[in-house]
Amino acid sequence: MISLKINYKRLFVGLLTIALVSCSNPWEDRENNGDANLSVTLSEAITNTTEVSQFGQLLVQTGYDKVLAASKTYTVFVPTNEAMDQVDDAILNDPEALKKFVANHIALTAYSSIRTKAQEKIKMLGDKYLLFKGATMIDDATIVTADHYAANGVFHIINKALTPKLNIWQYINSNSGSAMSQYLLSLKNINIYTSDAEAKANAVPGALADSLTNSYLKNVYNLNNEKNSYTLFLMQDAGYSTEVDKMKPYLTVATPEGTAALASYFTVRDMAFPNAYELNQLPATLTSRFGVEFPVDKTQIVGNPIHLSNGVIYIMKKVDVSLTKRLLTTKIEGEKNYGYVGTRTPILYRDRIDPFGVLFNDIMVQTPARAKFTLTYYAKDIMYSTKYKVYWRAINDQSGTFQQQLAIGGNYDVTTNNIVNMTTTFPLITVPFKNYDEILLGEFTKTNANNTDLISLIGGTSSTSALTLDYLKFVPVLK
Amino acid sequence: MITTIRKTTTKSIVTIVTAFTLLFSFGSCQDYLDVQPEDKLSGDQVYRNVYDADAAVLGIYGKFMGLAEKYVVLNEMRADLMTTTRNSSPYLKQLSQHNVSAENTYINPKQFYEVIQNCNDALKNFDIMLADKKFTQSQYDQRYADIACIRTWIYLQLGIQYGTVPYITEPIETIDDVKNINKYPRLPFDQLLDKLVTFTEALTYKNIYDSQSSLLVTVDGYDTRKFFINKECLLGDLELWKGNYLSAASHYKNVMEETPAAGVNTFDNYRVKFAEVITNEDLAVGYLRNFEQDATTLVNSDTKGWRSIFGRSRDVLWNSEWIWSLPFDSNFAPANPFIAFFSKTGGDYLAKPSQRAMDLWNSNTQNNDFPYDARGPKFTYNIVGGDPVIMKYIYKYQAANDQFKRNGDWFLYRAAKLHLRYAEAANRDKQYKLANALLNIGIKNSYNPLNLAQTNNVTNAMQTKLPFPYDFDARIGDFPNFRAPWHRNIGVRGRAYLKAVPVVGDSLISIENNIINEAALELAYEGNRWEDLVRVARRRNDPAFLADKIFDKLNKEGNAEATVVRTKLMNPNNWYLPFTW
Repeated sequence: MISLKINYKRLFVGLLTIALVSCSNPWEDRENNGDANLSVTLSEAITNTTEVSQFGQLLVQTGYDKVLAASKTYTVFVPTNEAMDQVDDAILNDPEALKKFVANHIALTAYSSIRTKAQEKIKMLGDKYLLFKGATMIDDATIVTADHYAANGVFHIINKALTPKLNIWQYINSNSGSAMSQYLLSLKNINIYTSDAEAKANAVPGALADSLTNSYLKNVYNLNNEKNSYTLFLMQDAGYSTEVDKMKPYLTVATPEGTAALASYFTVRDMAFPNAYELNQLPATLTSRFGVEFPVDKTQIVGNPIHLSNGVIYIMKKVDVSLTKRLLTTKIEGEKNYGYVGTRTPILYRDRIDPFGVLFNDIMVQTPARAKFTLTYYAKDIMYSTKYKVYWRAINDQSGTFQQQLAIGGNYDVTTNNIVNMTTTFPLITVPFKNYDEILLGEFTKTNANNTDLISLIGGTSSTSALTLDYLKFVPVLK
Repeated sequence: MITTIRKTTTKSIVTIVTAFTLLFSFGSCQDYLDVQPEDKLSGDQVYRNVYDADAAVLGIYGKFMGLAEKYVVLNEMRADLMTTTRNSSPYLKQLSQHNVSAENTYINPKQFYEVIQNCNDALKNFDIMLADKKFTQSQYDQRYADIACIRTWIYLQLGIQYGTVPYITEPIETIDDVKNINKYPRLPFDQLLDKLVTFTEALTYKNIYDSQSSLLVTVDGYDTRKFFINKECLLGDLELWKGNYLSAASHYKNVMEETPAAGVNTFDNYRVKFAEVITNEDLAVGYLRNFEQDATTLVNSDTKGWRSIFGRSRDVLWNSEWIWSLPFDSNFAPANPFIAFFSKTGGDYLAKPSQRAMDLWNSNTQNNDFPYDARGPKFTYNIVGGDPVIMKYIYKYQAANDQFKRNGDWFLYRAAKLHLRYAEAANRDKQYKLANALLNIGIKNSYNPLNLAQTNNVTNAMQTKLPFPYDFDARIGDFPNFRAPWHRNIGVRGRAYLKAVPVVGDSLISIENNIINEAALELAYEGNRWEDLVRVARRRNDPAFLADKIFDKLNKEGNAEATVVRTKLMNPNNWYLPFTW
């Protein structure tokens, strides 16, 4: 009887215990998932991994251990001790270079090796961008073991240190031996367009000053930009001077130095391309952003391509571009007029469709209310010192016909209220009804290369004589 | 014996104690987790007076706004004017190519039934409130009709999208019961339409809330009048689907003759008015006066011209066009889904105009011979960084120029849509001339065979001389003086500065084609296209009407599946989405 009671008491107590225990706190359970990795920071995790202990020491030495102990999330690419042995002592002994070196191994946010994209560029703390190819590669280093994780991110162990590379522009600065490099650097002081002078005057000194003040970086591609990739063809001196000499007759200005500078600019501006092309990716022909097309002759490549942080440089014996491709036609759209002589009221900017179903925009001055109503234009880019054939397309869809003429050069005269002192004046031409063809107006010759000539479309002598223009075309003729 | 009894008693006591201990041990945990919230009301605590009823109405509208994105996506991405971008999810591509998979999140009808469940619950409680005399008969009628119409509108959408759906009008225990085909059998679209027409026509109250109503107020800076569904528009749509064209036209005409909102001139209200060529203070496509040939003078702003229909604030002109529109405001939930959906700079750019749509706009010629319809390339979409971007929904966001000010609207009904729908009904009711007039150049110009001017005696011109609902008087004359109610009407295409489209061949078919085509140009991306195509294809029993247009969209973007999709859509059963969640 008594023993029974004791048994029941035990049972009773046992049940009570179960009852109390079953009311455990699920919130606290949630926090502890039993994964020890998640209780250490990246900094600690790397230091505790013996095969990468050298890099762990560098983290402490540079202070990046504190960054990696913070509450943001990071990815660290950690070179093995063997890889660290290969690193140049010059870097290890220079505190500034060492900081940049370590920073080039760390990226903000956690990049696991399982990627949806085959490859992507990721930004490192040192502001360089490296190409991350999933589980296999970061830049030119191979990932040995991936996805070691800690409380605030992941680290991958790699077989080669990611020593920061120069970018294309830094490379040119530190390898300024060739004539082409020297010319590119000299564009810091040479203005090609008037806007270049303004950019130089307004540039704020600092790391980005080059990007703004150098006429090449401003007008062609900013080779100092880490975010994009470029390919640059750097010619050796002999090939370079041949190309520049080819251009000189077409870019003549008052002084020989000026001619040389312009001819050089029009040679080198076609040598840079967006995208970093590997040797096997180089297309058969390339077209520069200015529309110059030339064949890529791989036999002229000297040595191996130079891989840099924002692209590739190819050293070339020469890059032969034929003059027919190099000299570009200047096209001026009628509706993009610079100004007018008369009043704004009669000028109409129209949207039209031609009989072939192609949309186009043109300008029409319907009832000018004055004789010799004038629309003025400037060429956007520099026009060559050569002979040009001049065409227009002007569509008259009014009921009657009218005459208009083209003139080059001259200036606006306040007293007569007209353009005067023109260097070339083409004859008055009747604009036929609904003719959609290009009409050859004639030829004219420029002695100096520039874009400062005023180009005027002048109406007839009657105050009702209309004007119309779709576009003007100036086709350069080879000497 | 006694011992035995005692023993048994002890045993039974122990058993009972054990049982209780067990009971408490399991029960206690649940109790301590299951605390009644102190900041929420249970069912019997709401619906005490008319203000509670108002709160329920506005609450349902808030919930209803959650359907905006689905409504636009289902009605546009499945049709021919909108297509996917490089950013679109596979689900959107499935919708565009008509091969949806079961897990596609856009096709889940549950969200629709959640709002229906809210409506059913409110309607039942309104009945209880009326029985308990907690509000008046008139207050009851107005609120009941409003919520009933919202429910009907959702069911019409469900019918259009899913074809065969369960029609549930009572609150149900769990929302997932909707799926249970034994409990809630599914009605084919035809029968559903019958139910909806009968139910909605029987509602006693068909106006907007009366002017004294506690629901017509200013909430957070917005006048609520245009928040509420226009019941006559809904009835017109239902009758149009049903094929009762005279009845549909009558309902639409009632809206056209509605008392305008404060400040709006009756001559302008839902009239699709001509352009104000001097001031450009209008909703028309226009150019600066005397510069009609100059493309740079196009009136392109959020305060003037056609674009301002979408960009302007809810002012007098806005009220003359908009019949039903719900605002999204970044200060209040629900958030505007359209910025993320359409914007390229501030969102994910998930949809763009199809090549077919762009070709449609560019195949029109304006009155100034410009080879396009400015509503398309200038207003409805713009080229942003080389990509066409649908702009209608993002003008307000763009104007605010602030990443966090994501105001916008859900565009539900406006005058142009009303006129096109009315014209569609009138055309089917053999009023070809009238339908063509509202579509093209307006009443006054169409009913003026002698080409009379304002200075002539116009007593017998410029009017239809037909009985309701086809009675329009558009006379404008000085001797004797006429300024008839419709004298400012210019037609949908007239307002868009476009040349009239001709009637070729059979009037009925030709004008109907023109109307549906015009709806594409005028109302693109406002969520009407799919239902327009289904309605007409169904009415004509001509699946090719729908299938050819989808084929053209896919074909023009080089989609290899175009022919397969066309074949599929030639079977009307494939127009509808699977009813699964």
